[in-house]
Amino acid sequence: MSDGQMVIVEKLVKVYPGGTRAVSGVDFTVSQGEFFAFLGPNGAGKSTTMKVLSTLLRKTSGRVVVASHDVDRDPRAVRRSIGFAMQEVGLDDLVTGWDLLVLQGILYGQSRREARRRAEELLDLVGLTPVAGRKVGTYSGGMRRRLDLVAALVHRPPLLFLDEPTTGLDPQTRLTIWEYLTQLNKQGVTVFLTTQMMEEADRLCQRIAIIDQGQIVAQGSPRSLKAEVGGDVVHVTLASQGREDGRSSAEEAERLATGRSYVAAVERTGTSLTVRVKDGSAAVPDLLRVLHESGVAVTNLSVASPTLDDVFLKYTGRKIRVEEAKGDEVAATLRPWLGLRRR
Amino acid sequence: MGLARETYYIYLRDLKTWLAQPAAVVSTVLSSAFVFLFFGSPLKSVVTLPGFPADDYQAYLTGMVIVMTVVFSGADAAMAMLTDILSGYFDKLLLAPINRFSVLLGSLLTAGTRALIQVVIIVLMATALGVSFKGGVIGALVVIVAAAIFGIAWACLGLAIALKTKSAQVTQSSWLLFMPLAFLTTGFMPKELLTGWFKVAVTINPVDYVMSGIRAIIIQGWAWGAILPGLWALVATTVSMTAIATWLYRRATA
Repeated sequence: MSDGQMVIVEKLVKVYPGGTRAVSGVDFTVSQGEFFAFLGPNGAGKSTTMKVLSTLLRKTSGRVVVASHDVDRDPRAVRRSIGFAMQEVGLDDLVTGWDLLVLQGILYGQSRREARRRAEELLDLVGLTPVAGRKVGTYSGGMRRRLDLVAALVHRPPLLFLDEPTTGLDPQTRLTIWEYLTQLNKQGVTVFLTTQMMEEADRLCQRIAIIDQGQIVAQGSPRSLKAEVGGDVVHVTLASQGREDGRSSAEEAERLATGRSYVAAVERTGTSLTVRVKDGSAAVPDLLRVLHESGVAVTNLSVASPTLDDVFLKYTGRKIRVEEAKGDEVAATLRPWLGLRRR
Repeated sequence: MGLARETYYIYLRDLKTWLAQPAAVVSTVLSSAFVFLFFGSPLKSVVTLPGFPADDYQAYLTGMVIVMTVVFSGADAAMAMLTDILSGYFDKLLLAPINRFSVLLGSLLTAGTRALIQVVIIVLMATALGVSFKGGVIGALVVIVAAAIFGIAWACLGLAIALKTKSAQVTQSSWLLFMPLAFLTTGFMPKELLTGWFKVAVTINPVDYVMSGIRAIIIQGWAWGAILPGLWALVATTVSMTAIATWLYRRATA
C-alpha cells in the first residue's frame, strides 16, 4: 500500500434494483493499521457499503479501491486481501467446524497440510478445539460467531471487515471478541467494523464515521467528535408525583432549566432531563437550588462528559436505538393499565 | 489454484452435506421402491392389452421409475443450494478468491452423483424383482449414465429456481413443476393406448423421449428407433438447462 490507504471510497452510491437508495454518496478512507468503524442505526447503509467493498455487491457508481485493487477491475485480488465476517454468520450447519475451516483454507489456496495446521491454530485461539469434531448446527450462538470470525482469518488477511461482530452476543463473549480484535489490530491488521453500539465504537476505534440514511454525517476520532458536541451533560431524575397545578415535576423542571442562562439545551424523557451545559460542575449548584426552591424533588443527578450517543443525537437529531425508544413508548402506554409505577 | 481443484473440494463438501442427511438419502430410495410396489403388482394385467409392447410390466415400469427419480432429484439440488443461500454460506464461498463457477459445477456434479447412486439402486432393485435388461450389462450401464446426465439437467432447473426466487417456499414447491414432467409420459402406458390431451402433452414432453429411449434398452435391447430420439432429447434438455442455470448463476453472482 504505497499511499498507506487500505480503503479508498469516493462518491459511492448503491441503489438496489427495487429503487432503494441504500448508500448515497459516501466518501471515506481507512489507513493501514487503523481501527475504523461505521456507527449508525439499522438501515443506515453500513452493511451495503461493506458488501460493495468486499465484492459481494456491485456498486451503482463511485470509486472503490480496497488494498490497492479496484473492486470492479480486480475483484479476486480484493477477495484475497480481505477477511469478512458478515452480520448474519454464514456457516454450513451440516459439516463439522474442523471441516469448514480446512475447506476455507483450501479455497484460499493453501495446501491440505497448511489448511489443517491453520485450522488447528484458529480453533485453539477461540477455544473451539473441544467441539471441532461436532457439526456446526449443534453450536451455540457464541460458538458460531467465533467460528465465523476465525473463518475470515484463515488466510491471514491484512484487512478485516466485520459487520456488527458482537450484535446479539452475551457481554462475556463480547468482551472476549473485543480483546481478540484489539490484539489483531496490534499485530498490524487493519480493521473496519460496523456497529450500532456506541460503546463498541468508543472502546475499539481510533476513528469513526457516523452514518445515517446512506450518508456520512460526521467523521473523526471518538475524542474529537465528543469535543465537537461541546460542554457537559447533566442528567437529572425527578420524583414522579404530580404537582398541585397538575403539571408533572419533570415538565416544571424542564421549564425552569430552560430559563437558566448557562443552559444550552434541555431534553426531557419521562421523568428525567438531559441538560446540556458548558461547565457541569459550575452549573449543578445553581440548578439544584432553582429546582429546590420551586418544590421539584430530585432523586438523582449526575454530570457526564458527552458520549457518542450525544454525538449521534447532535448530528442526526435522533437517538441511535430507535427500536428501544419505541419499546419504551409502548411500555409507557401500558404501564397505567398494568398498575405499574414508573421507576 | 485451478478451477478443477476448487470444484473438486466444493463437490466433496456438497456430497458430505448430502450424506449428513440420511433421511433424504433413504426417502429417495423408498419412493422408487413404492412405485414398483404400488403400480407394479396391481397393474400387471395391463400387459395383456393388445398393442402393449412388453410382456413384463415391472420391466416396462423400470424406465418410468428411473426417469421419475432423476427428474425429482432436481428439487433436491434446488433445496441444497437454497439452504446455502439462506444460511449465508453461499456468500462465504463467493468471498473466497476462487473461480465462482466452481460452486455451480460442484453442486451439479453432486446432483449427478446423487442421480447415479439412485439409479444404480433402482437397477439392482429391478433386477431383484426379476427384470432382465434386454440391452445386457452394457445396456444397463448406458441407462445409468444417461439417467445421471438427465439428473444434472433437471438439477440445473432446480438451481435456476433457487437462484431466481431465493425463497424456501417456492423452491420447496418446485416438485409441482417436476411432477407433470415426470407423469405426462408413457411411464405407465404406451402411447398407442393414450388418447386426447394427455397424448398431446406426452408428445411435446422431452422427458418422455428420454424415458422411451431408456425403456427401449430395458425391454427391447438396442432399438435405435426409440433410442436415438431419446438421445437427442437428452442432449437438447441438458444443453438448454445448463445454459439457463449458467446464465442465472452469472447474474446472481456478478
